[in-house]
Amino acid sequence: MPNILVIEDDDIMLKAIRNILNKDGFNVVTAKDGKEAFEMLETAEYDIVITDLMMPYANGLEVVSRLRNDSNKRNVGIIVVSSVGNEETITEAFRLGADDYLKKPIMAGELLIRIRKLLAYKTSKALFVTKRK
Amino acid sequence: MWSDLVDLLFQAYERFSLLPLFIEIALVFIVIAIILTISAYASILFRRYKAYVHAKRIAFLSPKIEDLITEQVLLNENLDKDMPIESFEFDKAALDNKIYKKPEVRQILIDTLIRYRKNFRGEVGELLRKLYIDMVLQEDSYKKLKSMAWETKIKALVELTQMDIPIADVTLLPLTNSRNPTLRAAARNAYIQLSKNEPFKFFDIATEPILPWDQLEMFKIITTSKDIAIPNFARWVSYSTNKSIVSFCLKLIAHYDQQNAIPTVVGLLETKDHYFRANAINCLGKLTAESAEPRLVSMYNSQPIICQIEILKAMGRIASGKYLEFLKHEFLYSFNFEIQMNAARSIIKHNTQTSRAMLNELVETTNEDNRIIIKHCQNPLIKY
Repeated sequence: MPNILVIEDDDIMLKAIRNILNKDGFNVVTAKDGKEAFEMLETAEYDIVITDLMMPYANGLEVVSRLRNDSNKRNVGIIVVSSVGNEETITEAFRLGADDYLKKPIMAGELLIRIRKLLAYKTSKALFVTKRK
Repeated sequence: MWSDLVDLLFQAYERFSLLPLFIEIALVFIVIAIILTISAYASILFRRYKAYVHAKRIAFLSPKIEDLITEQVLLNENLDKDMPIESFEFDKAALDNKIYKKPEVRQILIDTLIRYRKNFRGEVGELLRKLYIDMVLQEDSYKKLKSMAWETKIKALVELTQMDIPIADVTLLPLTNSRNPTLRAAARNAYIQLSKNEPFKFFDIATEPILPWDQLEMFKIITTSKDIAIPNFARWVSYSTNKSIVSFCLKLIAHYDQQNAIPTVVGLLETKDHYFRANAINCLGKLTAESAEPRLVSMYNSQPIICQIEILKAMGRIASGKYLEFLKHEFLYSFNFEIQMNAARSIIKHNTQTSRAMLNELVETTNEDNRIIIKHCQNPLIKY
């Protein structure tokens, strides 16, 4: 069962995403801000991290940046879910290493499809790397 | 007991009446101050207590409401099937729970549904709307719309707009012309979002102005709303007597590049209001109305600075190349720094072989001050 870390400071959105993902068979862990997320990332491994951008202590871009600069967690799939829709922020998120970007309000079905696609891509990439070795 | 109290008050009054006048006045002020302080503290304490009780109630009810939404909407089994939203059925027993009959609980339910709607669209968003309708919560919002308090009316407008529930023109249109600017802005925004066929109908009856900040907000709503019917804004430019509506329409004409509005906008160049005329020139520039160029140049000398600057900007945007000499002349012989800068920018904006040659010639032949202006205008980081 894939492990997903959801980082979101809005209680309602956090619970809603957790419920939707649980219903689809994902193992979901939640964090309310960047600081809590960093602690969780230290203690466990996740297949995908879904993060908001505007959060207290450490924002979503910092989470993306730290994950991509950590050699052990570089391959974690990152999906940014945010209400920020300006071009600079979206391009900055992708530049730092986010795999996908969803603007709120989101469609639950779309989120699930994107997660599955990202998981499939990560798996095939890992297989390709193993075969090459 | 009462007679003792009356005696005491009578004695106090007798003593009070014997005091010198300035002491009497001082005593009256002291008593009034004490009464006001006590009532202020009492009011603060009462409000805090009310807020505390409300917060406690929300903390108690929120999990129940969230569970209801989770079960009925997020985890609704029918979401996986390809069913139209209208045919979805909620668990009647859950919806008919007595707790949801109380007005304050219904308000918390509405607020929670709106928070969810802000985060979800698509099927989940539509199902949230259906839950709102099936629980007849729109009636609560409609009731609030009839309130005397403008804050309550705004709350109702936001709720109905968020839930995409239509409001009758007879109720909403008068609010778009309210004397209260906050209510007016909220009603206008609601009208644009809810009226699918004629979202700008309120322009016809608007006598109150659209304030600059409201224009920004409205512009954002118009340009980001889906399925909004965009009319020909020239119609309000021709006949509206509300200057802020005309000014706003000019911005919308430029944004939607409504080329057929050019003759109407040109007609506005006759207006006596300088600021208005500057808006019209700005619009013509953004529409790159080449046909208006000769008219702009011919009126240039009789215009105030604000309009002259807009004319120069418009010529840079149109960039037909026919008036490069005119721009060069303004750059070299004007005594106004703003005029010189805009003339230089408009020459640069042409970006043709002729304009580049003209710039090179200017850099070589002109004085040091002008060279600095050209260099400044050539900086791509400075927005035009």
